[in-house]
Amino acid sequence: MLPWNYGLHWTLGTMVFLGAFYTVLVVVATTLVSAVVRSRRSLRAGGADGLRWRSDFHDLAARDRACRHQLTGELECRECPNGFDCRQCDTHRAILEQRPAPEPGARSVEDFGMTFPLDRLYHRGHTWVRRERNGTVTVGLDDLGRVLVGKPDSVDLPRKGHRLRLHATAWRMRKGRAGLSVVSPVAGIVVETGGPDQPWYLKVRPEQADLRHLLEGIEVRPWLAREMERLQRALMAAGAAPQPVDGQATLASLAASCPEECREAVCGAMFLRP
Amino acid sequence: MISEKKPGKICRYGMAIDLDKCTGCGACMIACAVENNVPPANPAATDLTGITWLRVFKVDNGEEYPRKESVYFPMMCQQCGVETPCYLVCPQQAVDVDPSTGIVFQMPERCLGCRYCMAACPYHSRYFNWWDPKWPAGMEKTLNPDVAPRMRGVVEKCNYCHGRWHAARERAAQAGLKDIIPGDYVPACVEACPAGAIEFGDLNDPASAPAQAAKDPNSFRLLATLGTEPKVYYRSKRPWAKRIGDPSQAPGSKETSRG
Amino acid sequence: MDRRFIPTGVARCSTSRFLMWLALWAALLAFGLYSAGLCLVEGLNQTHMNNRFAFGLWIFLDLTVIALGAGAFFTGFLLYILKRKELRGVINSAVVIGLMCYGGAMAVLGVDVGQPLRAWFTFWYPNVHSMLTEVTFCISCYLTVLLIEYLPIVLKNRKLRQVPHFLVFEHELHNLVYVFAGVGTFLSFFHQGSLGGLYGVLRGRPFAFREELGIWPTTFFLFILSAAAVGPSFILLTTWLVQKLARKPLVRPAVFESLGRISGLLLAAYVLLKTVDTIVWLRRTTPRSGFLPAQYYAWKPFGIWLLFVEIALFLVPMAILLIPKLRARTAWLVPAAAMACCGVALNRFVLTIQTLALPTLSFDRFVYYLPSWQETGTFLAVVAAGVLVYSISFRYFVLFPEEREL
Repeated sequence: MLPWNYGLHWTLGTMVFLGAFYTVLVVVATTLVSAVVRSRRSLRAGGADGLRWRSDFHDLAARDRACRHQLTGELECRECPNGFDCRQCDTHRAILEQRPAPEPGARSVEDFGMTFPLDRLYHRGHTWVRRERNGTVTVGLDDLGRVLVGKPDSVDLPRKGHRLRLHATAWRMRKGRAGLSVVSPVAGIVVETGGPDQPWYLKVRPEQADLRHLLEGIEVRPWLAREMERLQRALMAAGAAPQPVDGQATLASLAASCPEECREAVCGAMFLRP
Repeated sequence: MISEKKPGKICRYGMAIDLDKCTGCGACMIACAVENNVPPANPAATDLTGITWLRVFKVDNGEEYPRKESVYFPMMCQQCGVETPCYLVCPQQAVDVDPSTGIVFQMPERCLGCRYCMAACPYHSRYFNWWDPKWPAGMEKTLNPDVAPRMRGVVEKCNYCHGRWHAARERAAQAGLKDIIPGDYVPACVEACPAGAIEFGDLNDPASAPAQAAKDPNSFRLLATLGTEPKVYYRSKRPWAKRIGDPSQAPGSKETSRG
Repeated sequence: MDRRFIPTGVARCSTSRFLMWLALWAALLAFGLYSAGLCLVEGLNQTHMNNRFAFGLWIFLDLTVIALGAGAFFTGFLLYILKRKELRGVINSAVVIGLMCYGGAMAVLGVDVGQPLRAWFTFWYPNVHSMLTEVTFCISCYLTVLLIEYLPIVLKNRKLRQVPHFLVFEHELHNLVYVFAGVGTFLSFFHQGSLGGLYGVLRGRPFAFREELGIWPTTFFLFILSAAAVGPSFILLTTWLVQKLARKPLVRPAVFESLGRISGLLLAAYVLLKTVDTIVWLRRTTPRSGFLPAQYYAWKPFGIWLLFVEIALFLVPMAILLIPKLRARTAWLVPAAAMACCGVALNRFVLTIQTLALPTLSFDRFVYYLPSWQETGTFLAVVAAGVLVYSISFRYFVLFPEEREL
């Protein structure tokens, strides 16, 4: 195998054969090592969070990856190619330009026993973001998240001055045996912290003003309907009793039917990660 | 080839076996086993799991009494000279063909026991150690110190008593000669045969018995059509015996026509 | 109890039922390990192999299992190199099956050789003329590649994924998976072929010996082709079986259709080439070696019927899998796939067992061989280990990504 092996005669056949073998070994080892190196580099650059979000996105069934514009009916059928991050999406920009101005009357969406005010933007991870006049944004948990989690036993908020990364964990909550983390809808520095007793959780100075990846206006109601569907499916998969599908189902009743031990799994399905 | 060419004459050792002389006494088999430290068979060994580097078969002409005739057929490694099947297939190069002697010898220390060589050999002259070798108490005194015993799980076969070749070379070297003294090196079976049915010699030497047998019209080799160029020449005046080496005479052939 | 480890969006049976299933196969594995242990400790006299039957049940089953495990490399090749996207639904399952097949084959080989601790000799003193050297090298490398391909499947587990190191490493591995698929295809091409070459070079066994194309006998190419043809069938068969056991659909029907069609096309190519090869073998190669074709089939039970059954076991599935209307119906598709797998098993059997049973010398006898219980037990250990690993993978990892949507 090695050139100095006693009695090993190097013919053309031997050289071709062992050459091929060593080449394969080198290719496999190099590939493996480069994967290790790249992953360490990515970890150091904080890529793990974005990867987690993208990985959760890929785990969704195809119908759950529908583009926000399919939800509103503006597009016939489109699967999101960007992991719900609409900031780079050309289709999103084009449609936004063509969208008519929002009606001034509507102030909030009320459905399934929840209220979703329209003065704020919504993240798919069930947090809302409201732009404040001083350039900061306020971040909170939306009604669906709030009812699903219930009253948390403990909340682990980030310190003031902590740097939030987009799609990283914004804050953690514990309820019973379930530990849940909330996905951060923005990237920025935490300026103030609130809590479950207050109407908001965090005030953040965002790194960029671009909040196009968040849902707004006419998108909220169809998104909510889809989320309720997903919740029903997640509950059934977790073994809850099936609920009547007749619009009378409220979020509260659904959440009540969720067995305690499945809370983590169900919340995980709704992007409130374990 | 692994072996380096040694200085001296290039020999091609072969055998000439006269089937009309062999009485089937089996002295050659015993001499072989004693010379080469072949262990006694395990009590559970069968006809097909024992080790017999040299084995004498009884071959009939297929007729019934009173026309029935038999020959006794000593079989050992045929020392294939060309495209040696076992040498080509061993994954570890545990088989070596010595260019100075033409002997195909097995290195049990390197053998993995995969038995591919046994599948490759058409003459079934390779044997596997299915058991650990065990000699009854006291019998270890009969072991030949010049030959290494083999361990369980390796293949072994006739190597023309290679230990005797080494001994002959040493004696020649001590006498100051480059080549082995003719007649000084004979395998155990050749020495033991009371009828002189097995003869041994260098095929490159036209005067040797095997070289002359090669030219004899009554001689044949086993499975010569396979192209392995075996170096053992069998000789018989009986026409049916001359066809033993013919593959289409193998049992099951419709053309079996002995007698 | 272990629900936290089960992937989201899929239902699995209760923990106690799963443990009972595992216990059953673990018992079989224990028995098998005992048999293998006997062979290792007492020696190969525990088997019914002998000096005429140097290869027996183990080699025959090893070859079959490696041919069936070809689905792993071939599906990888079709998906990552030829970009047949529909196979994404079965690639993970195929990798696990391949891993089990090759791992099992290596384990059995470790018991089959007389001196397993000398296995590294082949690497140290390789004989490049020997097909077995090529097999050893390629299979060792390929097993490594399969282990690397299995790693992302493991790392995507719900709990393991939460470790950022694993998450990111899995992502990077997945980006480079086409390299491993390519290397796997290259290695598989050679070792499937060399396994065929094992028999095709046996000049001393005219039943197995074949003409050469380049430096390889025709069996080299025929084995590659038959393995590639049957690999997708085996994946099809196992997927159907797992669906039946899990009692729910796991892949879209398009996947079955695709696997069946590919299998059928390759079977057609194989049948054509094998027919040509058989004719050349019977009419040219065999007479040249001094033997007669009639001698091959003169012994009971290996009569000429065996040749016809082998042909039928390839021809019939080929016909079924090439007709779209039949292929679309499970009642035809699955038996066709099973027949193709049996055909490959019979082909390997004939070349291993029949080759060694047939006499070569005129005073040889025809030899019978039946495996001992230790040999059978050792192989059952491989089957049991395979089922155990597959069951655990099915429960805790995502083997069928499309399951969630069905």
